[in-house]
Amino acid sequence: MKGKAMKRIVIAGCGLLLPCLFTGCGDGSSKGVTEIEIVQYKPEAAGYFKMVEESFNETHDDIHLTIHSPNDASTILRTRFIREDYPDIIGIGGDINYSYYVDAEILADVSDYAGLKEIKQAYLDIDEALKLVPTEGAYAVPYAANAAGVLYNKEMFDEHGWEIPNDWGEFMSLCESIEAEGILPFYFGFKDTWTTLAPWNALAVDLAPADAAKKVNRGETTFSAEYRETSEKYLKLLEYGPNDAFAYGYNDACMAFARGESAMYPIGSYAVPQILSSNPDLKIDSFVMPGNDSKEGNTLNSGIDLQFCVMADCPNKEEAYEVLDFLLKDENLQQYINTQTSIPCKEGDFELSSVLEGMTEYIDSGNMTDYQDHYYPSEMAVDAQIQTFLLHRDVDAFLEKFDTDWLRYNRDIIRMVHEYENEHGRTAE
Amino acid sequence: MRKRETNWPVMVFLILGLSTIVFPLYMTIVIAFKQPSEMSNTISGILSLPKTWSFDNFREAMKVTDFWRSLGNSLLITIVTVVLSVLIHSLMGYALGRNKKHSKFYNFVYLFIVSGMFVPFAILMMPLAKQTAEMGLANWFGVILLYVVFYMPMNVLLYSGYLVNIPFALEEAAKVDGASTWRTYWKIIFPIMKPMHATVAVLTALAVWNDVMTPLVIMAGSSQNTLPLAQLNFQSQFGTNYNLAFASYLLSLIPILIFYLVCQRQILNGVVNGAVK
Amino acid sequence: MKNERKRTFLLITIPILALFICFNTIPLIRGVYYSFTNFKGFGKYDMVGFRNYLDLFTDARVLKSYWFTFKLAVVSTIIVNVISMLMALALNSKIRAKSFFRGAYFLPNILGALVVGYIFNYFFTYIIPALADMVGIEALGSSILSNPDTAWIGIVIVCAWQAIAMNTIIYISGLQTVPEDVYEAGGIDGATGFKKFWHLTFPLIFPFFTINMVLCIKNFLMVFDQIMALTKGGPAQSTESISYLIYNNGMSGGQFGFQSANAVVFFIVIVIISTAQMKISGKKEEQL
Repeated sequence: MKGKAMKRIVIAGCGLLLPCLFTGCGDGSSKGVTEIEIVQYKPEAAGYFKMVEESFNETHDDIHLTIHSPNDASTILRTRFIREDYPDIIGIGGDINYSYYVDAEILADVSDYAGLKEIKQAYLDIDEALKLVPTEGAYAVPYAANAAGVLYNKEMFDEHGWEIPNDWGEFMSLCESIEAEGILPFYFGFKDTWTTLAPWNALAVDLAPADAAKKVNRGETTFSAEYRETSEKYLKLLEYGPNDAFAYGYNDACMAFARGESAMYPIGSYAVPQILSSNPDLKIDSFVMPGNDSKEGNTLNSGIDLQFCVMADCPNKEEAYEVLDFLLKDENLQQYINTQTSIPCKEGDFELSSVLEGMTEYIDSGNMTDYQDHYYPSEMAVDAQIQTFLLHRDVDAFLEKFDTDWLRYNRDIIRMVHEYENEHGRTAE
Repeated sequence: MRKRETNWPVMVFLILGLSTIVFPLYMTIVIAFKQPSEMSNTISGILSLPKTWSFDNFREAMKVTDFWRSLGNSLLITIVTVVLSVLIHSLMGYALGRNKKHSKFYNFVYLFIVSGMFVPFAILMMPLAKQTAEMGLANWFGVILLYVVFYMPMNVLLYSGYLVNIPFALEEAAKVDGASTWRTYWKIIFPIMKPMHATVAVLTALAVWNDVMTPLVIMAGSSQNTLPLAQLNFQSQFGTNYNLAFASYLLSLIPILIFYLVCQRQILNGVVNGAVK
Repeated sequence: MKNERKRTFLLITIPILALFICFNTIPLIRGVYYSFTNFKGFGKYDMVGFRNYLDLFTDARVLKSYWFTFKLAVVSTIIVNVISMLMALALNSKIRAKSFFRGAYFLPNILGALVVGYIFNYFFTYIIPALADMVGIEALGSSILSNPDTAWIGIVIVCAWQAIAMNTIIYISGLQTVPEDVYEAGGIDGATGFKKFWHLTFPLIFPFFTINMVLCIKNFLMVFDQIMALTKGGPAQSTESISYLIYNNGMSGGQFGFQSANAVVFFIVIVIISTAQMKISGKKEEQL
């Protein structure tokens, strides 16, 4: 009796398993149609890419486009790389991963892509700078950028007649007058360590050289020298924040700002949708972090949020370019900008979100500098180090650790830079 | 035989302890029914009831996760894994549990397998992603196979631990009747381990049901989703929709809770009490 | 007869062992290989010999994560085993609505990490401080998760809250193997309460105590989900567990080789601990 029942279970089990064996073998593509697959890393833009995928496939008979917008794309990309199962195009950020991918030679040189000519020079320069050592060729097509500075509650500012500060002195006196009215100047969500990077980057672009990390790699300077002012000014900001800034996470901070509990929130434009979700009527505007003591020294903290790279392995480069052309069409890019409150990397007349109004001056003049953290290896956990620093408020200890850790975590890169220099002579950048 | 009496001090203890469960559950349910604009950072705000009790969040969450398909995939993986685990791991637990005391070989195999429990998954991930792809196992079948291997250490430990309390005499009796070891196992030992089967089934099902990493890594790039994979859609670095997420988690909690309630009766109605005499 | 038994056991063991080796041991060996490289997880890499292992012992962050993880594991293991033993005894005693209670107390185990993280964050950030303010306990006036000295306690609480359900189930299934007549005999001797438990019940469910200890070691030494849900390693890197480092820096970061070395060392450490532990409890089992 029991034995029979068992046998049945075993057979049923095998029966269930069999179909699994054969799935995944049947996707032979029909002849004449080229398959192009994109994996892009921004799941919050999945809706937009679904729309692009559909409209592309409706208008193209010879190419079939598939766009994946997975959550945790970095894990998925890495697993696919290790299997050598490369997508045709990947959509990634302009950060150190891009540097690694260029170094690993898994991206295709797209300098022959015509669309590159329409990309703003500032963003092409950023991609150039991100290469660990100078490498011939262009490996990415910048698509959209984001910007970080200070978001403020427009109604509150209008009501009290507060002015947008132009330099550090004005900024500090603004904070004083906000506090005098019994309002909290800033909210912070430092429990989520990554948020500590937002004010850090915004201040550092004003106060440290854009290529600080590369200079350190070449042994020309130290972070102790370059980041001291940034660190000291960051501690000043902290004084105008909530009592226990480390108790609140990103979502708490977004909600508190949305509920009018603080006048400003130093974070990137990407936070706007989350803030509006808890208070859709809030009027938000932004300004560039006035970290420098003079207005001329300030620059907008803006980096590439999304760029497309064709993989070296892609057999259909022509078709991949056609897909890129489609993505870069003005009306598509405009729609992306609308949904993600971002900045286009392409030249042309695009309508920016009203949230970015305070930053337009800098965007139009091209006065933009990339995020410093795009050069930090993620395993060094600079965000956590900044959090530690803000808790202990010890500038010297923080900078000293920054310098020693940097050498440790970037050992291979620094060796590579030195080898390159020995071969090619010192490069003046 | 005995009168059914209630142990009241224990009841009071259990009811008080329940507050640690009821409070989080209450929060989960309330949040699942609220709108994002009703979320709050004050205590009265978060504990208040939603303005309207509408199932919109649940409907929306089901749409976002493609609920029925993801549920089907999750169910398939979980059920097959549990069935295979109970069959294979109990056999292995039996072979090792009965021999490890007097055989160096079996003792070594036992320790070898149990120590597999402590291999951090992160170190296996990359090599497994490559290996499964090479073997053509980057699919459901591969995921199930991996689960059977991953949970083998824990389940073998459980089964062989349980066997310690099952007297050898039971098998001896069957052997005297001329039954083979294989037959004896299925006729006598397997049924007697029913409470442990239920325990193993619950623990394995739970681990599989909630697991994100294995399907993510092994089936990376395929559009097939399990429920936890689909639920990743609710959160990203720059924004999380807790209301939809909580609604979705409540939904996915139901099947596994039912499964547990069914199994826990089996844990309870152990046959050992009657058999061991 | 004897041979038939031996053959059957071999026929069972060999194929299952082969499966295990194929999907556990072989990938592990490949992982060990990567631990001697500077592999980032993609692209080209070089062999670096024992560099990763040498680095490991001088890396303050790694050493700190070992201290944190072991502290968490020891405290959680004690708390969880005491409470779940009590729970199992309570749920196994003569109570009403048994199924209801068993169902309810199982819930913490199935709530997803996102939900658990959100609720406990809320609890620690807003509710506890507000309650403390009302009662006037200053020490709890700010979130325990925002203080590097106390954040680990928050993690212990959540780990225990989730793990008790599972350990209770195992203790309950252990209690089913205790024959009724043992109690009857004990009842005649006049053994009651704790004495009855310690001298009659506990020795009989000792194998389950061993199982629970091993599972606790596994769950708490390899703690990851709760860290991700509650603190992501913060504040001030005070709650970075070993698994968190291995995953975060190895998989998401570019330290795959180095963290593979970390994983190998970690694996060896746990195996030594748990073998020692099983040896001790094995001896104890024989005594009983």
